Amino acid sequence: MSNVCITGVGLVSSLGHTPDALFDNLKNNKCFFQEEPSWKELIGLNTHVSSPAQNYDVSHLPRHTRRSMSPMSKMGYLAAHNALKDAGLTVSREANSTSKLYKTDSLKTLLMMGSTTGSPIFLEEYFTKMIKNGGPVGQLSTAFLKTMNHSVNANVALALSYSGPSISPSSACSTSSQAAIMAMQFIRSGIYDVAIVGGADELHSTSASVFDIAKASSCHYNDRPQEIPGPFSKERDGLVVSEGSGVLILESEDHVKKRGGKVYAQILGGQYMCDGIHMTQPQSCQMAITMEQALRDANISKKDIGYVNAHATGTKVGDYEEAKAINSVFGETNVAVSSLKGHLGHSLAACGAIEIIGIIEMMKNKMLIGNRNVTEVLDGFSGIDILKSNKQLKLNYAISNNFAFGGMNTSLVLKNLM
Amino acid sequence: MITDINETLCSEFELPMEKLTESAILADDLGLDSLDAVDMLVLLEDKVGIKLDAEKFQHVKTLGDVYKLVEEII
Repeated sequence: MSNVCITGVGLVSSLGHTPDALFDNLKNNKCFFQEEPSWKELIGLNTHVSSPAQNYDVSHLPRHTRRSMSPMSKMGYLAAHNALKDAGLTVSREANSTSKLYKTDSLKTLLMMGSTTGSPIFLEEYFTKMIKNGGPVGQLSTAFLKTMNHSVNANVALALSYSGPSISPSSACSTSSQAAIMAMQFIRSGIYDVAIVGGADELHSTSASVFDIAKASSCHYNDRPQEIPGPFSKERDGLVVSEGSGVLILESEDHVKKRGGKVYAQILGGQYMCDGIHMTQPQSCQMAITMEQALRDANISKKDIGYVNAHATGTKVGDYEEAKAINSVFGETNVAVSSLKGHLGHSLAACGAIEIIGIIEMMKNKMLIGNRNVTEVLDGFSGIDILKSNKQLKLNYAISNNFAFGGMNTSLVLKNLM
Repeated sequence: MITDINETLCSEFELPMEKLTESAILADDLGLDSLDAVDMLVLLEDKVGIKLDAEKFQHVKTLGDVYKLVEEII
């Protein structure tokens, strides 16, 4: 069974588009939550804050490539391009490429990127036009290419000139973490040598309203978004919707050794599970089982885990249930726990991969990032160390959680190889 | 009318105005493919406010053919 290494990372996020920028902002406790004045006009929407991605540009791509891209595909392309560059791999159709180039004609690579839905921006545009015109008259051919469920994956493939195996997973907020675990399983089994995995989502009021309707969005700090209490805070009042893309290059140990590439970390193990109990109510027992399964798959003791990167989005119920689950798994170990969503916001399908990049940066910089804006942590979990500030620590092993509507739970274990 | 068509092509397909001549071949000179042709029909119908003959539009080769087809309808 092949070991699975992370050899390249790329991201577009609200805290910057390089791992260095991300870590610098995290370390300095930054967030760029902002008011969304246009959301105030939407009847029934209570949250008026968002965390948009910093400016990005794909104008260098040919028009034929850009015409089918919504923002999520643009961000997905940039993250994928940068991840490949970081790994020192180049997608090429040329059979006589130099040894450093990855040849897609070998069919031993996989592109696996997903999003929560097709582009919400263009879904709104499509249906607005359809209702106004009384039918499909006036629709552009490219509308469907932006709104289909595998739009990100297809557009990234086109923009990279990637020909080869391709799957587009979709499990909302656990999309990219699930993609990473699935790719790990494929590489372990020898089906692929390399996988380009990740997720992307774009900001839109419908994403915010999904959480708003479920009373899970922040709505008491609309006029002072910088003060929104962070994950695991006693005062937490809900999440802030963000956008972005995170992409990881996963490679078999043999493949990366053969080409002399660098390695950040190993995905030691992981698990994704549907709880089959409730569509939206987080289940601590199922979260705990998922973490235990991931540890078992990684063949590692919970005592070796130095840090839990929680999914915690800042919601009353979700954060509590996750803390309960972490406490039940790690309760005797005083393991450090934090979530990055108080800094980044919740980038949905992208968050899993972006947070893994965050963990790699913590490993590299020997510093754990504490939860942002937390004065007092929620009561009842004295067995675990919910971080209120950054902490110096040489991190060898970490676990990353991501959960999603539909009862999806994912956990994966990372080993520092830097 | 030609100005309207050219402005649409210019803004929607990022084509430089100087390339928009009657003899310009849509595929070879302007780089417009089948998806662009579908969208051009929709955009021109929207611009001139009249439904164009989609069947005939499938056979246009040059920009001059497009001008002619729109002129015929108007």
